Amino acid sequence: MQYRSQIIAREYFMAALPLFLLQVIFGLAASVKYVWGYDPLLNLVPFNVARAIHINLLVFWLLLALMGATYYMVADEIKTEIYSIKLARVQLAILLVSGVTAIVGYLFQWSFGMPFLEQPTVIKLAIVVAALIFLANIALTMFTNHHTLTRTTATLLGGMVMLSVMFLFGIPFMPNLSTQYYFWWWVIHLWVEGAWELIAASLVGWALIKVTGVSRQRIETWVFAEVALVLLTGIIGTGHHYYWIGTPRYWLWWGAIFSAAEPVPIMMMLVDTVRHMLKARTLPVVNTLGLAWLGASAFVHFMGAGVWGFGQTLPQINRWTHGTQITASHGHFAFWGAYGMLAIALMYIILPQIGGHPTDQGSKLGFSAFVVLNFSMIFLVMALLIAGIVQVYLQRVMGMDFLEVQNQLRVWFEVRLVTGCIFFIGTVLLMWDLFRLAHARPASEFVPQPETLPAIS
Amino acid sequence: MPSTRTTLWAATLLSAFVFLGMTVDSLRQMGARTHSDKISPQVVEGKRIWQHYDCNDCHTILGIGGYYAPDVTKSYAIRGDAWLRQFLKEPGKIYSTGRQMPNFHLADAQIDSLVAYLKWVSEVDTNGWPPAPQGVAREEAPGFKIFLAQHCNACHAIQGSGGTLAPELTHEGSRQTKDWILAQINDPRGHKPDSIMPSFEQLPQAEKDELADYLAGLK
Repeated sequence: MQYRSQIIAREYFMAALPLFLLQVIFGLAASVKYVWGYDPLLNLVPFNVARAIHINLLVFWLLLALMGATYYMVADEIKTEIYSIKLARVQLAILLVSGVTAIVGYLFQWSFGMPFLEQPTVIKLAIVVAALIFLANIALTMFTNHHTLTRTTATLLGGMVMLSVMFLFGIPFMPNLSTQYYFWWWVIHLWVEGAWELIAASLVGWALIKVTGVSRQRIETWVFAEVALVLLTGIIGTGHHYYWIGTPRYWLWWGAIFSAAEPVPIMMMLVDTVRHMLKARTLPVVNTLGLAWLGASAFVHFMGAGVWGFGQTLPQINRWTHGTQITASHGHFAFWGAYGMLAIALMYIILPQIGGHPTDQGSKLGFSAFVVLNFSMIFLVMALLIAGIVQVYLQRVMGMDFLEVQNQLRVWFEVRLVTGCIFFIGTVLLMWDLFRLAHARPASEFVPQPETLPAIS
Repeated sequence: MPSTRTTLWAATLLSAFVFLGMTVDSLRQMGARTHSDKISPQVVEGKRIWQHYDCNDCHTILGIGGYYAPDVTKSYAIRGDAWLRQFLKEPGKIYSTGRQMPNFHLADAQIDSLVAYLKWVSEVDTNGWPPAPQGVAREEAPGFKIFLAQHCNACHAIQGSGGTLAPELTHEGSRQTKDWILAQINDPRGHKPDSIMPSFEQLPQAEKDELADYLAGLK
């Protein structure tokens, strides 16, 4: 860490981690309801509330983590202090207050009622204010005093602007459900398969430069090509959500063709990351655990988003799988790989720098968390996948009733609950390890560290 | 020759423009495909209630949402008006065991709006989604296909497969005649005034005959 204001990243991470744990707890609450016929919390925390909170917390902690990492990365790239650390704290406070209010509000049926975007309009507007503060703070850091913008930071800024603009389409109430969903996907799809991919690509690029010392030029060329391909395939790829919602038939073709190409840039990211990671073997000091999360993220991103997504993106298949547990399997796998693991990787790369452990290579505890979290998630995803396949067969093909099929799936929901409990243990281990890294030394004892890594190409 | 970078960006921009153009065209066509002229104030109110109670985080609609409870896109067409009203009034009375829906204590006017909304949704042109079940082997009676397509098995079971809410139909033919079954399909409350079974009077006569023939043949 070279700039004092980079310490703000730690505050964002420390806020994100308890929310992650809470997300897992609400996920467990929801999965218990799948297993038990009788729900003692039916009138207190019904399934819809548990699910809304589970997913809101997911988006919430990921955004906090990515924003914290962005502050750290931008200062590092532009080689300057963040424009205003006070604004960054105000932004964090607004996000925390509005996020927590939204989550408590769901318990009292205060909801906008569109999945993932359940936040009431007032809260959405507060989030927009926080996003504007964030963008202004980042842009001012980049553009004051004629700092040179790197391609990586420009991509990151582009992703953050796209993220904020797309969110606006989720705010209005539209009388026609089909139109509402048409634009709802502009938030959901164009976030995860557009804006967030841009953010991820640039942060991964930066992290690779930091950890492996690969030359900037090589990384940036790749980031650039990946981003262009993400947008090229992902924008019209939105069409795979326009098959069955009252939209014209031609989307079956357009959606199929463009979304079938969506795994290509993700595969490029995987190949690219692995190739550069291999170079790190020659370095004297390597942040092994940070690099492990980064590489595993690229792999699971490809599996969860690329392979699992491709598996049901063609309309001939999607016609049968749409709206089943297969989508839940894909959702868990893709989000964990593409964004959850990336956020954790960034914490493992950034926190040792802030906490005063620039040469940390990962503790036993940290590696245990890595193994427990990833293995339990893989089994969780498999349980949901099998449940989904059986559901498609019994419900959609054979025509059995929904609730009867759900009874048939109980064993797989039990497996999911058990793997969820193991994942919870992993989350606790992870938090423990990250708190240890973050608070290894108090901020007052902070001594600026010189760049420790030699550049190799 | 433009560089690869220029080509990629040009293609990306072009795809964004194409997407916006398709959006304009889609919105134009969606008026007719969704019968937007039928979106009455009552339907809009129904959508507000649907969102207010966050129904979509348990149920899917148009296949999107929580996967915990049944998809409601075609629930109006499948269950009919009377059943939906009864269910929304007291969900626990119809499904007393297993996975439950909370009772939101909806007022009658709210139920009217919700049902109007579900009726509107059921008429949206969804390009044939959800698909009709295909699992019935060809040698099966056509009446059994209708039994499945109309989700009779949500409440009735045949040879142990199906719901437990309504009488088992495994030996229905040895208890009732075809005429009795037809009357039951058309007007369930004619036989039992407090029956919760919805009427299937709206089915084409040929389908009702096939269904009744099939059930009457279960000896």
